[in-house]
Amino acid sequence: MAVWVEKDDCAGCETCVEACPLGAISMRDGLAIIDEKCNSCGACVESCSTGAIKSDAAAAKADTSQYRDVWIVAETRHGRVRPCTLELLGCGRGLANALDQRLCAVLAGKEVKGFAADMAEHGADVVYVMEDAGLEEGRTLPHARAITDAAREKKPAVVLFSATPFGRELAPRVSRRLGTGLTADCTELGIDGATKNLLQTRPAWGGNLMATIYSPDSRPQMSTVRPGVMKALPREPGRKADIVGLKVNLKAEDARLQVVELKKGLRKKVDLTEAKIIVSGGNGVGSKEGFKLLEELAAVLGAEVAGTRIAVEEGWITADRQVGQTGQSVCPDLYIACGISGAIQHRSGMAGAKTIVAINTDPNAPIFQIADIAVNADLFKVVPELIAALRARGDEC
Amino acid sequence: MYRDARLGVAELDVIVLVKQVPNTAEVKIDPRTGTLMREGVESIINPDDLHALEAGLRLRESHGGRVTAVSMGPPQAMDALREALGMGADAAVLLTDRAFAGADTLATSYTLGKCIRKLGRFDLVVAGHQAIDGDTAQIGPQVAEYLDVPQVIRATRLEVRDGELHAERTHEDGVEAVRCALPALVTVTREANKPRYPYIPRLMAAFDPNAPIKTWGPKDIGADERLIGLKGSPTQVQKTFTPKLEKKVEKLSGQPAEMARALVGRLKERRLA
Amino acid sequence: MNSEEMLRRTIAKFVDNEIIPVANDLDEKETFPRDLFKRLAGMGLYSIRYPKEAGGSAADNTHFCIMCEELARGSMSVAAFTAMQCLMGTDFLFKYGTPELRERYWRPAMRGEKVAAFCLTEPGGGTDLAAVTTTARKSADDVVITGYKTWVTNGPVADFYTVLCQTDRSKGPKGFGFFFVPRDTPGVVVTRKFSKMGTRATEISEVIFRDAHVPREHQFGPDGSGAALLNSKLEEIRVMTAALSLGLARAAFDASLRYANEREAFGRPIGKYQAIQMKLATMATEIEASRLMIYDCTRRMDRGIPAMKEASMAKYFASEAACRAADECTRIFGAYAYSNEYPASRFYRDTRFLLYGGGTSEILQVIIAKELGL
Repeated sequence: MAVWVEKDDCAGCETCVEACPLGAISMRDGLAIIDEKCNSCGACVESCSTGAIKSDAAAAKADTSQYRDVWIVAETRHGRVRPCTLELLGCGRGLANALDQRLCAVLAGKEVKGFAADMAEHGADVVYVMEDAGLEEGRTLPHARAITDAAREKKPAVVLFSATPFGRELAPRVSRRLGTGLTADCTELGIDGATKNLLQTRPAWGGNLMATIYSPDSRPQMSTVRPGVMKALPREPGRKADIVGLKVNLKAEDARLQVVELKKGLRKKVDLTEAKIIVSGGNGVGSKEGFKLLEELAAVLGAEVAGTRIAVEEGWITADRQVGQTGQSVCPDLYIACGISGAIQHRSGMAGAKTIVAINTDPNAPIFQIADIAVNADLFKVVPELIAALRARGDEC
Repeated sequence: MYRDARLGVAELDVIVLVKQVPNTAEVKIDPRTGTLMREGVESIINPDDLHALEAGLRLRESHGGRVTAVSMGPPQAMDALREALGMGADAAVLLTDRAFAGADTLATSYTLGKCIRKLGRFDLVVAGHQAIDGDTAQIGPQVAEYLDVPQVIRATRLEVRDGELHAERTHEDGVEAVRCALPALVTVTREANKPRYPYIPRLMAAFDPNAPIKTWGPKDIGADERLIGLKGSPTQVQKTFTPKLEKKVEKLSGQPAEMARALVGRLKERRLA
Repeated sequence: MNSEEMLRRTIAKFVDNEIIPVANDLDEKETFPRDLFKRLAGMGLYSIRYPKEAGGSAADNTHFCIMCEELARGSMSVAAFTAMQCLMGTDFLFKYGTPELRERYWRPAMRGEKVAAFCLTEPGGGTDLAAVTTTARKSADDVVITGYKTWVTNGPVADFYTVLCQTDRSKGPKGFGFFFVPRDTPGVVVTRKFSKMGTRATEISEVIFRDAHVPREHQFGPDGSGAALLNSKLEEIRVMTAALSLGLARAAFDASLRYANEREAFGRPIGKYQAIQMKLATMATEIEASRLMIYDCTRRMDRGIPAMKEASMAKYFASEAACRAADECTRIFGAYAYSNEYPASRFYRDTRFLLYGGGTSEILQVIIAKELGL
């Protein structure tokens, strides 16, 4: 049985007894009891006012044929659709084609209807729009309810979220509520030709190992997808989609967390994930002053400065500039690694860069294994020359 | 148990989730085969979880109450809990049983959730933001959902005031101050605090047979066997493979100035400069 | 993992993160690092040998030596003052002090609020009891201590001293006793700290007692028990010094190995040359031999088996092996060893501390020979 009553929380109100279509719930000693007639439909879970009835319904084998369509959950920030949402559409389009099913964008927010056309022009066949004043950006509880309710009703085969901070805190709640599997931070998605299962590939062990995960018996199949990896489709002006409004039934308890304030000024926005060129430093840079040299190089190249965990822990750069397993994952066109040995934790965050230049005095540094261009020399000798050479080139133009 | 501060009693029952992980900093790649060399890699408390323990202990120190560390894992995960007791946790529960093995995050969150329910009332669950071996960062939110409590993810500062949790958390473009009803679940990052070192007398006492560590299996927490371990895990690993690391590396040589010029040339060829 | 491994790992983590990065600086400053002293108390290190009921860890000799070894791997100075605080500085106070003395001095010492020191050596000699001339004269209602002690580890910073005194010359070996003397006792004079070759972050000085009056209950143990008390600690002191030696040898080896892999000469890391390989192989072998001797000895002691011979052998071998390791380290580092920027110089200088504390090699060889029936 995958639906049960948490006795401590049951108020004895008997609402669930009436809600159960199978008559599987009765009262004993003032508490609800679920018997073997239960087929885990979950109707009682929704009816319970105290949240005392819990369900793992979908952990049992789902009838996979009932689930159709590929959903992507759109994310807005400061009133705009994030670029990673368009990447999800690009990725989802391929999956929907392989399944011969529809690609549906889920837009949930206070005022999001206006983005429906964007979704259509970037590949969506259907746009589900859920609007409610409670669906503020970045609020996990109301969004989790809206998306879970919609998924219970529409039964999608696949639900994709962006692996942004918000996506990574929202998706697990939805998966838990639906009792389905979730694969984190995927870098590759595909459909198994024979079984039509979603094949979700993600880095493990700090990127040293790739694992392909699938959920044969549970639906929907859910993933969060690493931003910057998938490609958005070019906008197709005039492309149309069915726009479907869905009801939102938020509850008071969805407002248990309130944002008091967002102190934006505290942190300069550093979005390394969208940087084209990154100049990054590690232990070999040695000091805050050392990073000044890297900043100079970055200024010449129009690049962002980043660094390893050590550079952050030593206080040479701020934490929002950390690249690696515990920092940001980046995939710029050019990544210049200065004095970085290339521990796997760091490599996992930057191995996706298209061109990697490594400058290091240690010829055995692991960074050279993944570099395209290896400069086995002292960064404090090479980087000033590099800055000079780049400046000289600039003067020629 | 938390009671209204106005009544003069404000003790906190804090549960800290702890995972034992291989020290991935020590995992090296065999340069010839490109495979992981895991032999002799020590097991440690997941780094973020040390910050979770520290956060829990500090809350207890300012409010009174109890800190209980909970870990699911093989029998040797006992070491992680001993370390937690050494740091100051009042009690610990090790969830260990063959049936728990092979759990994905859904099955793990069910198991941990069941254990927390079994422990009784709680005011706050604190967990590390993510584990270095899995990097999923899913356990916190999934346990919160199972327990039906709100969550504050990636907290860097937290305090309990007037029966509510006040926290700051990092955001992509700033720091967000939030207020949240209790009970709640918080995940913390390493910016939250500096974890203390274990207190040696407590650490050594954790090896006593009567140390306050419970070892629980599925029956002890009333878990449904179908929802735990491999059986309760909807996701399965189809295959693993090592990403191809080999790239054609071009090695530049010569004096720094020559290398710099050559590098600019290469970047220009690739239209990168 | 057993408690020994857990202890080793916990101390090692502290040493790696908090001591090694500052070890050279501490040495340069030549000042007792009070903050670090308090932090070690915060981890409960000073009470490690004491019973659980007293708030300690009830560590046996094996656990205690593991702690000493790991601390010495980070800094011999830190290991030296910690060992003083754990063992000779507080041991008799805990065992023979009145409840009031324990409360006033031992407990704060465990919390890192008071520093302990042990006064044994005199200008006339160390191991030779006959050279002890500091006297404790009993008067009607107290004890008057007069004499001159030197090489007092923690002397300049200590809050109290455990002092070996002659009580009755006519009784020979039975004419000695240990006495507890708080620093603020009138007549206690602490000289300037010595300027010394090694363990420079541990302060050492002379302590002079000019008719220092202490209450009679400041005598540790029964009349005439001084020599016996001291003898009862010799095994522990020796094997502990051996563990400190092992820690230093490991530090020298670790630094050497890392340097041999990094430093290049004639286009190859120097570790690729046999000359360097042989040095490292010898260091590793002697470290392993020291380890086996030390922990074989502690396990004997922990089982209650007399181990004077083994402790003497372990101390003799391990301290000499540490000297050789530090010497080789300075050769592997080449001229950089000559600079105080690198740890090699510190290791080399700190080895001398090991040669004197716990008995010189020469004395130990005599003791071993005596144990052999010669």
